[in-house]
Amino acid sequence: MSQFRDSDGLSIINNWMAEKGHAPFPFQLQTWQRYANGYSGMVIAPTGFGKTFSVFLAVVIDYLNEPKKYPTGLKLLWISPLRSLAKDLAKAMTEAVDDIGLDWSVQVRNGDTPTATRRKQERLMPDVLLTTPETMHLLFSQKKNSRWFKNIKCVAVDEWHELLGNKRGVLTELAISQLRHYAPKLRVWGITATIGNLEEAKSVLLPHRDLKVTQITAKQKKKLDIISVLPDEIEVLPWAGHLGAKMVDKILPIIASNTTTLIFTNTRGQAELWYQVLLNAQPDLAGLLAIHHGSIDKKLRNWIEDNIASGYLKAVVCTSSLDLGVDFKPVDCVIQIGSVKGIARFMQRAGRSGHSPFERSKIYFVPTHSLELVEVSALKEAIKDKQMESRDPMVLTIDVLVQFMVTLAVGEGFDAEELFKRVKSVYAFHYLTEDDWRWCLQFITKGGKTLSSYEEFHKVVLDDDGTYKVKSRRISMLHRMNIGAIVSEVNLKVKYFSGGYIGMIEEFFVSKLKPGESFILAGRVLELVQIKDMTVLVRRSKAKKAVSPSWLGGRLPLTSHLSHYLRLKLSDALEPGRLERELRFLNPLVSRQDSHSHIPKADEFLVELIETKDGHHLFMYPFEGRLVHEVFSALMAYRISKLKPLTFTIAMNDYGFELLSDQPIPISKENIEALLSKESLMDDVIASINASEMASRKFRDIAVIAGLVVQSQPGTRKNNKSLQSSSGLIFRVLEDYEPDNLLLRQAYTEVFNQQLEEARLQKAFERISNSKIIVKRAKSFTPLSFPLKVDSLRGTMSNENLDKRIQRIKEQAFKID
Amino acid sequence: MNIVTEHITIKNEVLTLTNQRAIYWDSQKALILSDVHIGKTAHFRRHGIPMPDDILQKDLERLQQLVTHFKAEQLLIVGDLFHAEFNIDMSTFKNWHSQFEDLQLVLIRGNHDSLSKRLMDDFNIRVETALVSEPFIFIHEHSAKYPETFTISGHTHPGVLIKGKGKQKLKLPCYQVASNQLILPAFSLFTGLNTKSKPDGAVCYAFTDSSIFKFE
Repeated sequence: MSQFRDSDGLSIINNWMAEKGHAPFPFQLQTWQRYANGYSGMVIAPTGFGKTFSVFLAVVIDYLNEPKKYPTGLKLLWISPLRSLAKDLAKAMTEAVDDIGLDWSVQVRNGDTPTATRRKQERLMPDVLLTTPETMHLLFSQKKNSRWFKNIKCVAVDEWHELLGNKRGVLTELAISQLRHYAPKLRVWGITATIGNLEEAKSVLLPHRDLKVTQITAKQKKKLDIISVLPDEIEVLPWAGHLGAKMVDKILPIIASNTTTLIFTNTRGQAELWYQVLLNAQPDLAGLLAIHHGSIDKKLRNWIEDNIASGYLKAVVCTSSLDLGVDFKPVDCVIQIGSVKGIARFMQRAGRSGHSPFERSKIYFVPTHSLELVEVSALKEAIKDKQMESRDPMVLTIDVLVQFMVTLAVGEGFDAEELFKRVKSVYAFHYLTEDDWRWCLQFITKGGKTLSSYEEFHKVVLDDDGTYKVKSRRISMLHRMNIGAIVSEVNLKVKYFSGGYIGMIEEFFVSKLKPGESFILAGRVLELVQIKDMTVLVRRSKAKKAVSPSWLGGRLPLTSHLSHYLRLKLSDALEPGRLERELRFLNPLVSRQDSHSHIPKADEFLVELIETKDGHHLFMYPFEGRLVHEVFSALMAYRISKLKPLTFTIAMNDYGFELLSDQPIPISKENIEALLSKESLMDDVIASINASEMASRKFRDIAVIAGLVVQSQPGTRKNNKSLQSSSGLIFRVLEDYEPDNLLLRQAYTEVFNQQLEEARLQKAFERISNSKIIVKRAKSFTPLSFPLKVDSLRGTMSNENLDKRIQRIKEQAFKID
Repeated sequence: MNIVTEHITIKNEVLTLTNQRAIYWDSQKALILSDVHIGKTAHFRRHGIPMPDDILQKDLERLQQLVTHFKAEQLLIVGDLFHAEFNIDMSTFKNWHSQFEDLQLVLIRGNHDSLSKRLMDDFNIRVETALVSEPFIFIHEHSAKYPETFTISGHTHPGVLIKGKGKQKLKLPCYQVASNQLILPAFSLFTGLNTKSKPDGAVCYAFTDSSIFKFE
């Protein structure tokens, strides 16, 4: 121990920090020491406390002490979820090594890296490489890639909480196992913010028994002020999804009184809208206000990030694109518009202001509809109780596994037996059976079930040397284009007719526009000229009115933790406590709900029946979050349609769901308890999942990741048109001809594991069976049901005869689109 | 398989629409279809995307039953008979064809039909860019080049989106019939639906496994 305390490396770093007027935090010192003692581990620290320098400097100190242990080439590999992070991190690290007088080179490699730089890196890797999980897999798909990694000493996974819980996490787990294969003595370090399941997070990243594993927690706590911005009167709050543009007058003074403000919105569409609204309200903000989201041109984004850092910008409207990242020192205020749907995310965003360790973070919450005020109230309570959500790791993702197998086959090839052992040691595939493994091998070599029908399929072949390889250049090329686990909507590039790239837009949105019509992107009003080669050509428009694009992605479901608090707060809202400012404000609305229908108390469950010209509506409010409601609503539709064949359109949000039918819904006080009964719950759930579109929707991502659907690349001429098909089509084909296809099965399992949360659903039904069920017939939409009518995600479920259904639609004066 | 039919009269000719994605033209003893995309599954397989070939088998069985049912003497394919390069599916098709003693094959070349003339000869397929057979012109993609004549084409894989009360939506394949043209649905079941392109004033004949519905 004392050896390390007295080491040259440590004193060099201590001196360097002292010159800058800093001293290391205890957790940094601890990390350095443990690293020197050969540990791997996980560092738990909020952003803004120097977590980067904990692991990074650990490697530097170790190098300074024992440079002979480190041959030339790659020493530290830094994997982070966001590309935008890498650039700033590299800058900070380069400054540090320069100051210390180390001749290390720190470089970034990701999708934005120019080809020339990449070629240079392949000839000589830098000492530190900052990259993403996807780029790691791309590197594994290169010939002779092991030579780059065999001397590497440490891999750091930054913002691990952002990767855990999705398939990019599985990509990371696999990448680590591959790196350990190349460099068996590799030390693995994860860096994470506080989440509900830290122990699990650690064992997912570090499942390997031969590693010495430790955990280091930063004790520092951030002080946080949450301030709700309330409108003058409750009526001015427009309903769900519609922006509370009238709140602009409340936001402008906040911007004026702070140095730099980040304004977070939940979707890119909302960001575009708020940017316009703010500029219209105060035109002299032009040049001082910027917009930042994932669909905006990289150069513009970089410019904006630089200008936040230099304090030149007064405010930036952004999305989760600025959730993570290095310190923007001037930012002293955050405004959150609309609900964040999760406690951890809210804390993360709040933490973007007052970034340095001893400042307070300040976050203003601007609701876009009234019920969101209940959410803030719930958030405050949850933060007070120190409740953080868990991120559940994904397991047995066959799609990611077959992609990884092909990646290795494209690269250096793999030995089946050895790889199976290695894959089984990865957390996600602990329970992979030998049958599953054989199926995966069969899938990539023969295509599927029978030999005869796949005669021409030679994706991966067993080579003479006993390894599995991809021989076809075209298949290699197609595969490299498809590596990754982020499946986006089909995006088109948007360019000026005269040249100049603006950003990306979803095909689904553009397909609804006609040439000559205008839309908003990156805060500019643009007129559509034409669409060519996956590129949208536009010119500047003078139009006063323009639609702002909707991006399908980016809507987040309410987490289960928050929904629990939400239920409590809503029943409180009828008689709010003296200090609960939000709930007091909401009181008129809650009273209206109570007089027109009912406000469910903690031990009640509300069902509303409403008849309008649209048809017959049934509303239920379990307050369990959107994902659970999707399953819950399909279950209700299934049970009701056993009483009478019906077609339902299903809508859900985080509070409840709606079943809408053109026919009367046979529901009454007498049969409602049976419908909500917990008897044969799981059987009915399985039946309803099979009858609904949920699995087919999950299959969309699976098909792309497993390489069944070729994604077209924005802006390219070669779009592999002859290989285009939709995941829906393939889903039906496999259902018909290969029902035991593992990828198909995975789609159903994902519905189960990710949405259903069996335990949570059981608990909900338990709760309902102990509740008093209140059935109300209302004459018009109630405050609770209205948001479901105007803004929600929809699906369909029908067990009617198709011909009969069409016949009736014809009689109902149908519309053709 | 259930063949449901509906007769329509165009330019004094009776055409029989079926719910099996083909039209029978009785006076010419011709079965008219479009967008068969033979070779699509094998093309996918060759590019590393596994697709069962039962899809092709099912399409061909359906076609065989239609030919037998109507006792057709001619198959008039208005384009995209083959999906891509020569592959094993084409031989399957050739074998299929040999079961009929004299079933003539006429193909109006579509954008996917890139096979050489020699191969087409070998398949015994007569290939045209457009075919005039009074009172119609058969062509792969409708074009304003023939303003006077009624065209029969395919290419777009037409579908119709119908909306009913209670926000119901349904997508069905269909025939589109306008004053100067008719567009056939794609014959292959391994194709998508395009509900976005509809000629002005077109009537849609949508179908299910058991019925045909007219939407005006």
